[in-house]
Amino acid sequence: MTRDLEGHGASRLLSNDPLASIGRDVERSDARDKTTGRAVYTVDIDLPGMLHAKVLRSSRPHAMLLRVDAEAARCARGVHAVLTRDDVPEHVVPSYGWFVKDQPIVASDRVRFIGEVVAAVAAESEADAIAALKLIQVDYEDLPVVASIEAALDHGAPELFPSAPPGFVPHYGPGARGGLRPAPNVCYEFGYTCGDAALFETCDHVFEDEFRFSRMQHYHLEPFVSVVKASAERLEVWSATQTPFLLRKELANLLRIAETSVSVKTHYVGGAFGAKAHLRTEPIAALLSQASGRPVRFCLTLEEAFFTSSQHAAVIRLRTGVMSDGRVVARKGQIDLDAGAYSDASPLVAEKAGYRLPGGYRFQHIDSTARCVMTNTTPAGAFRGFGGTQALWASESQIDMIARRLGVDPFEMRRMNLIGLGEPFVPGESGCDSDMVEGLALVADRVGYGRPLPPNQGIGIAVGFKDGGGVNKPAQARVKVTMGGDVFLATAAIEMGQGSGTALSQIVAEILRCPLSRVRQVPIDTDSAPFDPGTHSSSGTVVMGRAVEKAAVALRDKVLDFASETMGVPKDEILLEDWQILHGQKAMPLRALIIREFGGPGFEFTAEGYFKAKLDAEAPLDNKCVFWEIGWAAAKVAVDVETGRFNVLDLCVSGDAGRAINPLTCRGQDEGAAVMAYGQTLFERMLYDGEGQLLNGDPLMYRLAMSEDLPRSFQSILQEQGHGAGPFGAKGMGEGTMLPVAAAIANAIHDAVGVRVTELPITAERVLRALKQRDAASVRNCNPLPSHALT
Amino acid sequence: MGAEAEFGISFRLNGRDVVAKCPPTTPLVSVLRDHFALKGVKLSCSRAVCGSCVVLVDGLPGASCSMFAFQVEGAEVLTVEGLVTDGKPHPIQAAFAANTAFQCGYCTAGMIMLTKSLLDRVPRPDRETVRSWLSSNVCRCTGYEMIIDAVIAASRSLAIEARDGEGAHR
Repeated sequence: MTRDLEGHGASRLLSNDPLASIGRDVERSDARDKTTGRAVYTVDIDLPGMLHAKVLRSSRPHAMLLRVDAEAARCARGVHAVLTRDDVPEHVVPSYGWFVKDQPIVASDRVRFIGEVVAAVAAESEADAIAALKLIQVDYEDLPVVASIEAALDHGAPELFPSAPPGFVPHYGPGARGGLRPAPNVCYEFGYTCGDAALFETCDHVFEDEFRFSRMQHYHLEPFVSVVKASAERLEVWSATQTPFLLRKELANLLRIAETSVSVKTHYVGGAFGAKAHLRTEPIAALLSQASGRPVRFCLTLEEAFFTSSQHAAVIRLRTGVMSDGRVVARKGQIDLDAGAYSDASPLVAEKAGYRLPGGYRFQHIDSTARCVMTNTTPAGAFRGFGGTQALWASESQIDMIARRLGVDPFEMRRMNLIGLGEPFVPGESGCDSDMVEGLALVADRVGYGRPLPPNQGIGIAVGFKDGGGVNKPAQARVKVTMGGDVFLATAAIEMGQGSGTALSQIVAEILRCPLSRVRQVPIDTDSAPFDPGTHSSSGTVVMGRAVEKAAVALRDKVLDFASETMGVPKDEILLEDWQILHGQKAMPLRALIIREFGGPGFEFTAEGYFKAKLDAEAPLDNKCVFWEIGWAAAKVAVDVETGRFNVLDLCVSGDAGRAINPLTCRGQDEGAAVMAYGQTLFERMLYDGEGQLLNGDPLMYRLAMSEDLPRSFQSILQEQGHGAGPFGAKGMGEGTMLPVAAAIANAIHDAVGVRVTELPITAERVLRALKQRDAASVRNCNPLPSHALT
Repeated sequence: MGAEAEFGISFRLNGRDVVAKCPPTTPLVSVLRDHFALKGVKLSCSRAVCGSCVVLVDGLPGASCSMFAFQVEGAEVLTVEGLVTDGKPHPIQAAFAANTAFQCGYCTAGMIMLTKSLLDRVPRPDRETVRSWLSSNVCRCTGYEMIIDAVIAASRSLAIEARDGEGAHR
């Protein structure tokens, strides 16, 4: 393993300034807690009198619910409350969702996937709750099942929702459009068009290819869990969530109470990867707590996570027009996402899948459509990469295929077509803030691109490209300093592993010129935390980072204004350093200045910061993208042509941190995302039969990447190209290297043995099948049959 | 169905003799977390697959989710909390912290205990040995390389301590 620091940051690391925080591999602020067992997660919350909830889940993929009889369960040992469709209070809004409000808290008239919640019980112990669930009788009347994208789109396919659930379409800018329920079993469609479709006519070649993408479960190790304590006036919620303020709003909406009545508190979150955005366990815990008058803990098992959320499987069709020399011209694409049984975040994922379908290339015409197709499977939702992983798997595969068809070198094909630094992605968008060719050259060179290889070995490259920082995503932050110079940083940035707490503290320490150890992050409670809609979209460093930067700068200004006035010296002659005011050779402790001005009890300076990309009428998605998240990958493989088995000999990935606030943390994001994608490329998937039954939804059957699965050589290169819109030139991390890995490996296999696998995961069977098809085709070509023999 | 009968078990936990009473079906993880408030022991898959709940029983790593508490009768159990001596983290813990060998932290206690059992047997492992040894535990965040770095770093600092005669750790 090697890690390099490329580009503009290297010299800075040699700085000896003890108060410099940015760019240092400082020990993370959560390191001590997490390595000694002291870190508190929501799963550790234990309130006096707390009950435990468990749920009964549907055994049918699609059925009418004829009867739910929970009478026996109500009298079972230890049971305090039962929740069935008959127990949901009338004032409660019956269903929820992001754009389409289609998901019930507990099933009402029908169930739509195996594992859907039919009833819930709160009891003295989980064992009591599970025993009581066994007493609940449910009668189903089975309905025809649609378990795949194809089945759901078939003419005359049974519909999951015979009538349209309530929903809305947000505002879009030029070229973008959205629509509810454009077809049966499609809950949402997003489209984006720019340029003239007639450009296809000018192309030398038009290639059409189809790709298939498997779905993973997030497999966050801390389960979905919340504890809710309801009283007459308040709903106190402790939740492992990425979105505490969204949770507050949604719970208040569902229960029809004021948002001031709901407080959401968070602790460390044990992994999320998108799964813990929006409502999960909280509505059931809330209703059971209201019914029982006791605090209720609702913690899912890992098996239950497979019934709660997943990534989107997808079928992607691309029609791409190019010139003979390899220049790309036009692309029409359709991506059908398997949304599962409820819409959840699918419409938002469709937006991004459709928008990202061109990849990072300079198309003159784009026409993409992304549809959310409803099936009788687990609802799919937000997942690291957010539609981009699906789009880039197809796009970076097809670009490579086209290069090889045209006889153009795949690197050259990309060099010729990648959007340049500063060049807008599409009309009305912001310019690209990375030199994509520079990054690609780095990874390609590292695995020996262009050098001769032994037979059946090959090298593939790919560039992941996505907008980062979210659409209409604001962030607020507050910084407060005690009289003695200890600093509180309040944000609602959730620490779910990505290290944002440390990075944000480094920003504050750098601006206030104080030791990092003096900055403490305030625990999150929506009653007092500055507003933030959620920790997602790789937005922590750029969007929240800018809010934190502004708060720290505002605080420094207040302190300098105060000192300037108190000391009677011009503001531009003084500096803040280590909670002293430096004026020439003199250093004045701020504590003394504060006491002189405010008296012994003192004063605390406080400042707030806010950042949001401006609304922009020209931008397709309401605001120009705040940064572009790029991930580069190069892979070298060796293929056994007898069996189809292949080994990834080398995998090199790279991200551009713009400027790395904490290089080790950036490296962790790049490597973690790459290994998640690597597992998906080779084997990891949720496997359904044709009837909506998940075949491997448990830890013994579900295979994900372990350390022994890593490629023999796995390298990451952290670039700091220096063009980011975040503090000190930083960009967001965490999703970029998720995007290019699968295509890089498929491209490497093509390079090695000349065959193409277009479906994930890339198994030995699929490689072997492709090899056999190629051999069969070449036999036919060598022995052409006389044409009359076919008649 | 009535409440299960409870019975007592005694064992050594993080260097102290302890007793606990629990029904015979109680998994070890419940006794550690609920009876002794050792919340650093994390439960995730409940199937001895992910390794988040790994503790050392007589020096051997075991998934505490899938062991009955009575199985540790008379044994020596060590958890992540027990590695801290007089408020000072163990060199393995320090190496995980310094090398950022964690992200969400949920797998970390299990990884650290697994590392302890490795370095007790193989004080200076190469990367391949570490990679192979750690592959019984899941980390969904890091991609493993930075954990392997930390294990190598820990083996170096333990070797230096042993040479300098500071090996006062459990």
